[in-house]
Amino acid sequence: MTTLIGGEMLLWSDLDGSRGRGPVSGDALGFLLSQPFGRTLVAGPHAPELLEALPPAQVTVLARGAADAELLATRGLTVVCGSLEKMAAVPAYDTVIALDGLDRLHSAEAEPHSWTETLDLLLAVLKPGGRLLLGVENLFGIHRLTALPATPTDAEWTVPDDHDPQRPAGHARLLSHLARRGLHVQRDYAAYPGLSSPTVLLSREIQADAALAGALEAAVATAVQPTTDVLIDPVRLATAAVRNGLATALAPAWVVVAHRDPGTTADAALPDAVINGREFRLPAAGLPRGRTLEDHLLAAAQRRDLPTMRDLLTTWQSSPSAGVPAAQIVLGDNAELTALAPAADPLTALRAFAASAIAGGFAPLWPIRADEAELTAVLAGMTGRELEPSEVPPADKPGAHAVGDLLADRDRLTRELSEAKAKHEWYEQMLLRREAELKRVRQMNALLSATVPGKAATTLVGGLRAGKRAMRSVVRRTRGS
Amino acid sequence: MECLVHHANHYYGHSHVLARYCGLDDTDPPRLHGYLQHGWNIGDGMAPDHEYVPGVPKFVWSERVRRRAWSLGRREVYVVGSPWAYLLAMEPEPADAPPRRGTLFYPFHGWEGQHIIGNHEGLIEEIRATEEGPVTVCLYWQEYRDKRVRATYERAGFRVICHGYRGGWWKDLDPGFLYRQLAEQRRHSRVASNRLCSAIMYGTLAGCEPAVYGDPMQLEREKSAFGGQARIVREWSDLHGAALDVSVARRIATAELGADRLLPPAELRRVLGWPSLRHDPDFELTGVLTR
Repeated sequence: MTTLIGGEMLLWSDLDGSRGRGPVSGDALGFLLSQPFGRTLVAGPHAPELLEALPPAQVTVLARGAADAELLATRGLTVVCGSLEKMAAVPAYDTVIALDGLDRLHSAEAEPHSWTETLDLLLAVLKPGGRLLLGVENLFGIHRLTALPATPTDAEWTVPDDHDPQRPAGHARLLSHLARRGLHVQRDYAAYPGLSSPTVLLSREIQADAALAGALEAAVATAVQPTTDVLIDPVRLATAAVRNGLATALAPAWVVVAHRDPGTTADAALPDAVINGREFRLPAAGLPRGRTLEDHLLAAAQRRDLPTMRDLLTTWQSSPSAGVPAAQIVLGDNAELTALAPAADPLTALRAFAASAIAGGFAPLWPIRADEAELTAVLAGMTGRELEPSEVPPADKPGAHAVGDLLADRDRLTRELSEAKAKHEWYEQMLLRREAELKRVRQMNALLSATVPGKAATTLVGGLRAGKRAMRSVVRRTRGS
Repeated sequence: MECLVHHANHYYGHSHVLARYCGLDDTDPPRLHGYLQHGWNIGDGMAPDHEYVPGVPKFVWSERVRRRAWSLGRREVYVVGSPWAYLLAMEPEPADAPPRRGTLFYPFHGWEGQHIIGNHEGLIEEIRATEEGPVTVCLYWQEYRDKRVRATYERAGFRVICHGYRGGWWKDLDPGFLYRQLAEQRRHSRVASNRLCSAIMYGTLAGCEPAVYGDPMQLEREKSAFGGQARIVREWSDLHGAALDVSVARRIATAELGADRLLPPAELRRVLGWPSLRHDPDFELTGVLTR
């Protein structure tokens, strides 16, 4: 059943992703929705699959596009179609789910609303003691720090901006803002790689356990793999954020579960982390403890401790995890390796580490060109393995380039070219010197050949040659007969 | 000064030893694409008269030298360890080696460009006063050829030897130098000199008890680059004296000779720009020198 409340957009869909980013989706968020919520308002574009966990009879969905309302209604959901400010401000819901955030709740027909105004509108429909599941994009998140300038989409008739004083900037301010609005945050998560379809949710509690940093780094590294060109590699930035305790501060988005009733205890049902379709609960059984192998390797590289690097590389490449990228292996206290990703070709994994080492600025540790295949061959050599660069499997065509890396590449190539020129000049000088020496030796040879002992020697050598020829012909004849 | 494939790389048969370690023909070591440190060094690892072609790697023995070279503005500096350390790795001391006796003494030597100024008689007295067992004196080839210097030591009752030519400019190269040096050092229980030098480091790593004492003598026109002899005495004070803590000395020698940082052959071949075993057309003929 669909009710038009006003402000609805007839030629519009948020769910099909054609006018801007797609709806909120993904298994990770599903883990937050598998509990009794009572009467629920789902506000904003959420993928229909995500809502399947909720009992349809108790769910009302607010959609601003007519096409979306139609689609959702066919799934047996109650739909209100229009702009949020048109909804009756009656506290009718036990739960409000707004995982897409507050930026797509008003239609193009509505006057722009500030973030706070929109939040207040949502809170107006929430019962006392009710629960809010809120997604918030971090405008200083890794996705924004690494992004190249983009053209606004149709959905961005206004764009969220951190100049807006009405919008809490930063995670701490978000929490205190919610507290001021009478909300008690039960759980909050850093969401990677973005608000739309996070694959990794990390609670504050799980981040507090320093021994899990390796597993969390590996999770975040997988999540933020770039698919388009970027300013700098988000993987490096995100893993560094985890190491520096900034996984929440720089997360692309946050997900908050908050209650209106101060007496409500924490939701035990909610996981401490969701990583690639699995939930984890503290004391985090199931997540390996320790730093990633890549972290150990690069730490050794940074100290120029090549003997330790050789040991680590050898341990890795002679283990069953040889085909797992070093960034997806956790090295435990007892030197045990735990793979967090499936194994592929060991050389591909080694090459991936070579790429990380080059991108991390560690190529100058070896006297080779900063080339992945060349470095892979040296790394193999460090494990005692004989390998030619030509035997290294070619890299996949890169889906994305980082502008910072391109600039570094340009500088490196410029330097390599000037070095090659210097070497070329040296070789030329050397060649001239050797030619002169050859000329001198030949002249001396000619002079010596003209002397009596020289002539005698020439005659002797000639005689010996003739003898050799004669012997050969005799041998041939003897064989032939 | 000719660079790039520096003739100094072949001093004392250094590249020959590395070639053997790499499984290549050590009678004719391949071109080494870079400069190789050829002696224990308190500076940037290279000879003071070195000129550099940009981008050409400099291979040094120890991490300490690499750090120092970097601080002095050198780049493309890589630690590979000393040829001596590789030689020892390939030639472990046999279990049934004859017992070591006496002291092998290396009087501080000049080189082809600078001769030594000092009193050999005075040094002989100090050696006699210090050493209890028989003494062998090893002279640099230049001094060994000087009959007067040789006779001075012989008159003192010392056995006088020379490990061979250093070689240079690809001429008079002496691939057997280090092998002879190792054999001699392993005959002696002590290695000593009047200046801390490569030979003391070598001997310490080869199992001798080191000692540095006596008039350190002077080189003609000796320049005190990198702090000179005074800094050596100050910075490596643990290695100066007639009786030293052997375990401390061994730790220092291990670090200075990079014996703790040797590369596997496969890695060393790649790093030196040498052919792999599979790509060396002469691989069938490859064999190590037999001595």
